Amino acid sequence: MKPLLLMTLAAYVVAAVHYVVAFMHKRRSSERVAFMSLAVGFALHTASIITDWVEDNHYPLFGLRETFSFLAWTLVVAYLLTLVLTRYRTLALGSFTLPLVSVLTFIAMIARDKAAGSSSQITTAGGGSWLFPVHTTLLLFAYAAFFVVFAASVMYLVQERELRNKTFSAFFHRLPSLMTVNDIATHAAGIGFTLLTLGVLTGMLWSTERDGRLWHNDPKEIFAGITWLLYLVLILYRSTANWRGRRAAWLGVIGFALVLCTFFGARLLGSYHVFGFWILDFGFWIGGATNLA
Amino acid sequence: MSILLVGLNHKTAPVEVRERLAFTDEACAESLRVLVDGQVVREGLIVSTCNRVEVLAETSAPLAESFDRIKGFLSHSRRIGHDDFASHLYSHEEEQAVRHVFRVASSLDSMVVGEPQVLGQVRHAYSIALEAGTAGRILNRLVHHAFRTAKRVRSETGIAASAVSISYMAVELGRKIFGSLKGSMVLLVGAGEMAELSAQHLVNAGASHVLVTNRTHSTAEQLAAKFGGRAVAFSELSKHLAAADIVICSTGAEEYVITSEMARESLGARRNRPSFFIDISVPRNVDPRIGEINNLFVFDIDDLESVIASNIREREKEAERAELIIDSEVMQFQQALRALDIGPTIGALRQKMQEMARQELERHRHKLGPLTPEQEKAIESLLISTVNKISHPVMHRMRRSYDTGSEENIQAWREIFGLEE
Repeated sequence: MKPLLLMTLAAYVVAAVHYVVAFMHKRRSSERVAFMSLAVGFALHTASIITDWVEDNHYPLFGLRETFSFLAWTLVVAYLLTLVLTRYRTLALGSFTLPLVSVLTFIAMIARDKAAGSSSQITTAGGGSWLFPVHTTLLLFAYAAFFVVFAASVMYLVQERELRNKTFSAFFHRLPSLMTVNDIATHAAGIGFTLLTLGVLTGMLWSTERDGRLWHNDPKEIFAGITWLLYLVLILYRSTANWRGRRAAWLGVIGFALVLCTFFGARLLGSYHVFGFWILDFGFWIGGATNLA
Repeated sequence: MSILLVGLNHKTAPVEVRERLAFTDEACAESLRVLVDGQVVREGLIVSTCNRVEVLAETSAPLAESFDRIKGFLSHSRRIGHDDFASHLYSHEEEQAVRHVFRVASSLDSMVVGEPQVLGQVRHAYSIALEAGTAGRILNRLVHHAFRTAKRVRSETGIAASAVSISYMAVELGRKIFGSLKGSMVLLVGAGEMAELSAQHLVNAGASHVLVTNRTHSTAEQLAAKFGGRAVAFSELSKHLAAADIVICSTGAEEYVITSEMARESLGARRNRPSFFIDISVPRNVDPRIGEINNLFVFDIDDLESVIASNIREREKEAERAELIIDSEVMQFQQALRALDIGPTIGALRQKMQEMARQELERHRHKLGPLTPEQEKAIESLLISTVNKISHPVMHRMRRSYDTGSEENIQAWREIFGLEE
């Protein structure tokens, strides 16, 4: 158990609780605590990832533990970027994101990689190429961006529905305006799509370098392809402005479901393409406690 | 030193009584100078609005005397018999008075809870008192603390977050949909009073363009002039619809003035940029089917009423949370007031010095030989009066820094003489 990651988790949990309280009760003091602990958590998390990198002597994005930790980290980056770019006090987005970040960090903490210990395997798997870490990093950042699209889309749909039904819930006044969430979704989709494209391209390049094949008909590749197409549609529609609003928001939700399928589902469908190229101990939630014992 | 408040409001007194007691600005300043005599009442402030007349005072006399003085003042300055209004009065003292002022400023005591006007009215009352020179050390603090509390209540509770009037609903919906109203275009169809009021709110909230159209063109022109807007021909309504982000419709027409086809067309021209329609006319002027189109929202009078009803309920819930903020602010203010109070400090200083004198006498008593009790008394009182004489200018200065409200100085005095507990 890594003490840095444990402290990170503690800071994130504090942030998550305070974000939710600040959002529900509009409390400024909670908002300050939330933001401070988020900053602390982020700093610790960054330090933890760098320590991993230095100590294990490989890019810290192999295996389950590292992947989850990295994913949580990219989500925080995505949230902070949204905060800076929109200059909107995205309390709602924070109380959406931080609980998830906490859960991911928690999983990262309890997860154990059977294979991650053996660095020779990693070296073979990584093929020694710089393309592989770039591939995985780009994709994780793309997923984080799509999570922002998803969260913004849900906020859009909830409010749109309330406006149409003319029944405003207590949260109605605390969510950002339709235009704001629409803009956040549009920009995040653009960024996510660019990253996804680059991530898929580097993956293909790396794959050709390794075994000369561009495409393996692997479930994960197929899902990624569908996801890519869907976000392409979303972006094209948004940019031509024919599909602003509700339908675009639905695409944002469906797109994220596909992202989840790509990320988790592919493993269940028997992809060889799980978090890299080697078999992990995925058993802690499928197989149960035997692996932990 | 006591803080007192005597007054009546819309809950305790009918308008016939309130209007007889109300002060104009001039009368207010003049009366304040009468009220504040420097003997019983040292500071005063009068809040007079259509819903309340309240006298806030800082007094030095015993409570009962001070209350009588203020009631007498009201009766005398408004030339109204004591019995005509006394039964409607409420009077608060100290903490209760402070709480009342905080609640009024935070709009918890208003007819419509959360309405922001009352804060402006308190601000105005304070500026009159400042000009009249009747707001001093204590009231300055009290009023500023009340402003701070009101600000906290507004920003930390949803008490004023939602609209509770039809004319303000347009602003609320606009903000919900567009975020900011800056640069948005408002189109008034029909020139009713409610439409005008809504447009006024929208312009105050940042809407920059106003178009007015009416079957009688001259009416449209008059209204447009009020907002620096433009009057457009009623026959060209469908042409201008595309430019409008917010459409407020209130004509006397019997049929739909804005049809579903018109709205659909304009949405195409707007490249699907959302817009919303507020229809305050009966019978309705905006085809309700427009509300089914993606990116278009329609609110008719019933929708507005039901949203307002739920907003009022929401405000009442938020008001309960506001009370907690008030509680904590009242406590803070009372603490600050006690810290500011010089009385205990001076008392402690005097006692400390006299104590020193007695101790010294005790220490050197044996050197003096046998003394009669009278002689002993005389020596003691000589020492004490010397100490008092020496400390008198110091205490005088302490009182001065108290009167000028200089908290740092008071703190310094305490430190110099080691009076910190």
